[in-house]
Amino acid sequence: MIELKDIHVTFNKGTPLETTALRGVDFKVPTGQFVTVIGSNGAGKSTSLNVLAGIVPVERGTVTLGGEDITNWPVHKRARMISRVFQDPKIGTCEDLTILENFALAHGRTAPRGIRFAIERSMRAATAERVKVLGLGLENRLDDKVGLLSGGQRQAVSLLMATTGQSSVLLLDEHTAALDPKTADFVLETTRTIVERLGLTAVMVTHSMAQALSTGERTVMFHRGKIIFDASGKERAGMKVEDLLHLFKKTQGEELSDDNLLLG
Amino acid sequence: MSLYELLGTLETGFVFGLVALGAYLTFRILDFPDLTVEGSFPLGAAVCAALIVTLGWNPWLATGVAAVAGFAAGWTTAYLNVRFNILHILAGILLAISLYSINLRIMSGPNKPLLGVDTVFDTFGGFGVAGYIISPIFLGAVTLIVLIMVNLFLHTGWGIAMRAAGANPAMAQANGINVGSMKLFGVGLANAMTALAGALFAQIFGAADAYMGIGVIIVGLASVIVGTSLLPSRTILQATLACIVGAVLYRFAVALALNADFLGLRASDVQLVTAVLVALALIGQVSGLGIKRFFKTSKSK
Repeated sequence: MIELKDIHVTFNKGTPLETTALRGVDFKVPTGQFVTVIGSNGAGKSTSLNVLAGIVPVERGTVTLGGEDITNWPVHKRARMISRVFQDPKIGTCEDLTILENFALAHGRTAPRGIRFAIERSMRAATAERVKVLGLGLENRLDDKVGLLSGGQRQAVSLLMATTGQSSVLLLDEHTAALDPKTADFVLETTRTIVERLGLTAVMVTHSMAQALSTGERTVMFHRGKIIFDASGKERAGMKVEDLLHLFKKTQGEELSDDNLLLG
Repeated sequence: MSLYELLGTLETGFVFGLVALGAYLTFRILDFPDLTVEGSFPLGAAVCAALIVTLGWNPWLATGVAAVAGFAAGWTTAYLNVRFNILHILAGILLAISLYSINLRIMSGPNKPLLGVDTVFDTFGGFGVAGYIISPIFLGAVTLIVLIMVNLFLHTGWGIAMRAAGANPAMAQANGINVGSMKLFGVGLANAMTALAGALFAQIFGAADAYMGIGVIIVGLASVIVGTSLLPSRTILQATLACIVGAVLYRFAVALALNADFLGLRASDVQLVTAVLVALALIGQVSGLGIKRFFKTSKSK
């Protein structure tokens, strides 16, 4: 289980640009649960994800993983247990390295790296087997540099890399947002399959309400640095985008006015 | 150009090949513009000369210790950057200027002649071949060995982690790589190679000098730019080989430029010639006038 307890984050503190991003967020994700996180721009959803990954330091509050306090752990240390897929496909993979070398890097997240050759014969076969599932023909391009792949292909590789090894938590930061609709659907479907097959604890930030309600088993909504809505089970099962908008108006006393969110 | 001059240029070219490999590691692999080399090159020379002359050490051991001293210098620059967020260029400058004073202390003066003492080159004295032939062969072998080791290293688990740390730090961190440690080790390694070059340079020319670091960074960079402009550099092996070829070609270009009497150039113009050659290589690269491109265009015609 991963948990955020009373998390407060303020950016540019003490300057005219001071912005409070999170105001006492409590967020608990039990092991094996797939949660979608939704909210308009600046609501605090990506900041929460960055707090989980260790990229954004907290002002107050604690982050725990499996009962262990990891609040002060650096990003690279957390990465052994928490993997992530970025919004920009270019960030999730290293374009100067080959597909195989990228997988070797991901393999090193949970296994010792050392001064041995990064790529062993067994790794080539195993990687070919894994990328074959994508049906993109990448198994024949393992020695191609990742920079030669399209955005969708890179994001699919990024997803497979993030689920290499024994990481228990997967963070997905609007990982389909930069892709065309068809590729986004493909990557999302692949995500569902992998998360289900590996039984991962997953947190997916999305701008699309429809995507949030149709993916995973629980949906959480952020607004102005707080969680305002948390639905799962039967309550969520019958829910439509209109219901979510209505609920937002009822609890917040205002219309949700983020076009990106409404259109999604 | 006489055979003696030719071999001398080759000798210097190979020494600066080591500097070029260091520059490749910092500038290209780690994306860390490192100016420490201006101090670590003479540091290597100073440590080596002081150990051989003052303490009577074995030249091989002294050369090894010089490389270790270079590693420490590079590590310190990277530490200032990683731990205290001092801009990499500034951290390098701080180290370079402080090493100037340190080198004066190590040598107990502005220079340290290596006269009447054994150097690593004297090991090959009994082979019956003239020293001016042996030294370029020996230096070529040393450079080749370092090139092979750098290549092997960059294909290990740590090596690809270092490549990722330089190319995409966010991705590297997300894959459990401590980017700071990679910088410390990589910049240290690059300066170890530079200090090794300094130690060998001092032994070739018979003295270590506090001023011998001036312009080393430009020479290192020039070699990388000239080499990678002229030769293919898609793989690590190609790129590192291009750096060494670039260093040798660059020394030839400087030697030829200074030998061109009709231009009226003098030995003291070497830094100017250096800067002009680098500028030309950069202009060629930026404006797409590189020789590689020229060949490609010619072929396609």
